[in-house]
Amino acid sequence: MEGYERITFSFIAVCLILFLPPLLDGIARKIKAKVQLRQGASIFQTYYDIMTFLSMEPVYPTERLSFRLAPYIAFASAVSAALVLPYGKVIPVSFTGDIFVFLYVLAMVSIAYMIGGFSLNNTYTNTGANREMMIMLSIEPVLGVAIGTFALNAHTLRMGAIPFAVTFTVSVLLAYALLAYSVYVEGGFIPFDVAEAEQEILEGTFCEYSGYLLGIFKWALMIKRFALLWLLSSFISIPPIRNVANGTLGGALILITQLIVLFLLYAGIAVIESMNARLRIDHIIRKNAGVFLCSLAVLALAALGW
Amino acid sequence: MKEWARKITDDEVRERYVSEVVERFKDKIMRVERNASNQWIIEINREDLPEVVGYIINHPEWKETQLSTMVGADERPRRGKFSMIYWISINGESGDIFIGIKTYIPEDDPKFPAVTPVHPGANWYEREVKDLLGLVPEGHPDPRRLVLPDDWPEGVYPLRKDFHYTDSPKRDFTDETKYPYKEPPKGTAVFPLGPYHVALDEPGHFRLYVKGEEIVDVDYRLFYQHRGIEKIGENRLTYDQVNFIAERICGICGTAHALAYAQAIEAAGEIDVPERAEYIRTVMAEIERLHSHLLNLGLACHDVGFDKGFMDAFRLREHVMWLAERLTGNRKTYGMVVIGGVRRDFLEYRRSMIERVIRELKENFQKWVDQTLSTKTFVKRCEGIGILSYKDAKRWSTVGPFARGSGRDLDARRDHPFAAYKYLDFKVPIYKEGDVLARCLVRAEEILESIWIIEQALDEIPGGDILAEWREIPPYREAVGFTEAPRGEDVHYVITGEGNRLYRWRIRASTYNNFPALPDAMRGNTVADAVLIIASMDPCYSCTERVQVVDAKSGKVRVLTEKELTELSRKASRGV
Repeated sequence: MEGYERITFSFIAVCLILFLPPLLDGIARKIKAKVQLRQGASIFQTYYDIMTFLSMEPVYPTERLSFRLAPYIAFASAVSAALVLPYGKVIPVSFTGDIFVFLYVLAMVSIAYMIGGFSLNNTYTNTGANREMMIMLSIEPVLGVAIGTFALNAHTLRMGAIPFAVTFTVSVLLAYALLAYSVYVEGGFIPFDVAEAEQEILEGTFCEYSGYLLGIFKWALMIKRFALLWLLSSFISIPPIRNVANGTLGGALILITQLIVLFLLYAGIAVIESMNARLRIDHIIRKNAGVFLCSLAVLALAALGW
Repeated sequence: MKEWARKITDDEVRERYVSEVVERFKDKIMRVERNASNQWIIEINREDLPEVVGYIINHPEWKETQLSTMVGADERPRRGKFSMIYWISINGESGDIFIGIKTYIPEDDPKFPAVTPVHPGANWYEREVKDLLGLVPEGHPDPRRLVLPDDWPEGVYPLRKDFHYTDSPKRDFTDETKYPYKEPPKGTAVFPLGPYHVALDEPGHFRLYVKGEEIVDVDYRLFYQHRGIEKIGENRLTYDQVNFIAERICGICGTAHALAYAQAIEAAGEIDVPERAEYIRTVMAEIERLHSHLLNLGLACHDVGFDKGFMDAFRLREHVMWLAERLTGNRKTYGMVVIGGVRRDFLEYRRSMIERVIRELKENFQKWVDQTLSTKTFVKRCEGIGILSYKDAKRWSTVGPFARGSGRDLDARRDHPFAAYKYLDFKVPIYKEGDVLARCLVRAEEILESIWIIEQALDEIPGGDILAEWREIPPYREAVGFTEAPRGEDVHYVITGEGNRLYRWRIRASTYNNFPALPDAMRGNTVADAVLIIASMDPCYSCTERVQVVDAKSGKVRVLTEKELTELSRKASRGV
């Protein structure tokens, strides 16, 4: 039974990782449309968009291999990041120290975006890549500290095991706030979407991508958002119900809770996005630096055992 | 003040200005002529241009003087000479007067000393007469091409009378044909913006010289859409027809142009417009301002990714468009203004409709302002960005909300009352900060003032005719017509001609005066703000219906049909 459960949940996990993100994006678009009192496109629109992209030949502005590889690197990294998270009680890929892998592959998505942007002599893509780098460098430490605080509290270096072992202390509660903030920023939601700002820099790196390469790249970024939010939703939904959820049914209960929280988070973000304007990169860096200083204090609290 | 009393004092004030100029430059002045109630022409020698024009514009006591337009004309068939006239207006509620400094330039020596070193606002005007008429400004700091395309042959001047309007000179295009942009300052990269860019409404090319994301310097190239409307107006069309092409200069502020043109002809031909027509013109001009400002405020939101504000502003605007459609038959390009009056009357039962629409607009717009200004991220993006100092605003002779956001106290509706504005009461909002937010706030307040103006106009509108009859307009009269378009003062200058045709028509849209000031507003900001700053100036764009495919090397021109164009686009999007 154990084996079957594991296979089933892993299969569901892979399906969710690959095919849920476009639906989430479609729902977010619909919510934004509703906030703006528009009709809006169907919630499946993002699937159609990706299908269209995947059916088209790209135009290559350069011969460089790095330009062609970047979307695939981003895609693979995003999927791997999502795989170390718990789906129900099952973690598709789990080993000690995978929290570092999570941070590392998550950064790889941004790095792929930068590789794409810097492989061309185009000020728009270079600016986009540059901004992505600055955001990544300023927010990854915060994400790292937040996850580190959880790990310290749960005494484990397995990402998937943390929510099952975490106990509530002051530092953990603060770490939740840090986690939520860094997930939001890292996900590139408005007002933090400067690296892909359309009106300013023509979506940065994406302005030179087309066809299936663009499709894969966009899909990869959606999976990255999914991974980040799945992390947050797992950390929120698992601790309260982990004691009542027993057996396979309990696993299913956890998975459903995770999904519900994920949808709620995504919907909330869509509302915040539509009520805000985009910030400038210097605003963001200043903000992130402040949050990072706070996060150090949280880490100190956690080290003291509070 | 009674109407007649005001007229007399106005005349006294005007004469004081003119007599001061005459006193000061006694022997340099060859002729002084009053050509309309608020327009004087002073003729001088070309050598004295910088001194006299500079004296009036930089006069320390005269308020908000500025170069309203400058026109070069080929008067060789009549007088054997070219002529140039600098129109300077005095604003800031200190007398309704336009002074034209005119000079003649001989055919065999087409040169004049440039005014630009004394007043940078003359920059574009002087480059334009060089391009289109071959009059060379000597001592001009930036003698590059402005209007003509890069491959236009040297020595061919399209606005000269011996250039037929159907002529199409052979272009000398080679691979080396390039526009001489400024050299990038040391250690900077070039960030090209446009001609086609998602957030630019018109084709315009900006070169931002950037260090990291900071803009160090800016250069630009415009006039991708120069359509030669002035030449068509002078050669092909009658006075009445020109009125309709004038409305098509701009897709947003057409009525302002049509009105400016009609007023120029009315001043030259001494046509009295019936009072009811003046009120209807005012209401149409204000409806136009409403939709234009709502458009601009919406775009400002869009440029910083605040799409909720964008959509809401456009939804409000839609009601204004519907109102215009009910009143005139068109959402835009109303076709209301004709020489001597307006084409359509307001039917009595429509009045309540206008009242209802603007009452709802007032309420909802107030809500929109509250919502937008309480969006902290939006305010953060606009505050302290794209600052244009008062000094720079004056130096470049900027107009409209762009100037008023920088503390310039001018508004053609108040300072040079036209149409029914002389009977109405309204405020001119002025902000001194000079940043993007100040310009947005000026526009927001102007929307409320416009609503108030429409309410008053509807209350006071008298009955009677809407169109004055006119038979003939005496030839070779000169006059300017001016309106306050949503983007600032529009000035049309005309020399009337024989046979129901114009001799010279010069259009000066408000963006023409605002644009050269843009680099000053952009320097020191970041690339992220570039688009927002450009939008906050509200550049005026024009639309073409068809696409011409020009093979630059052979010079062959082919016009695509809509079907061909669609097919081409579909093909391109499939990557075939």
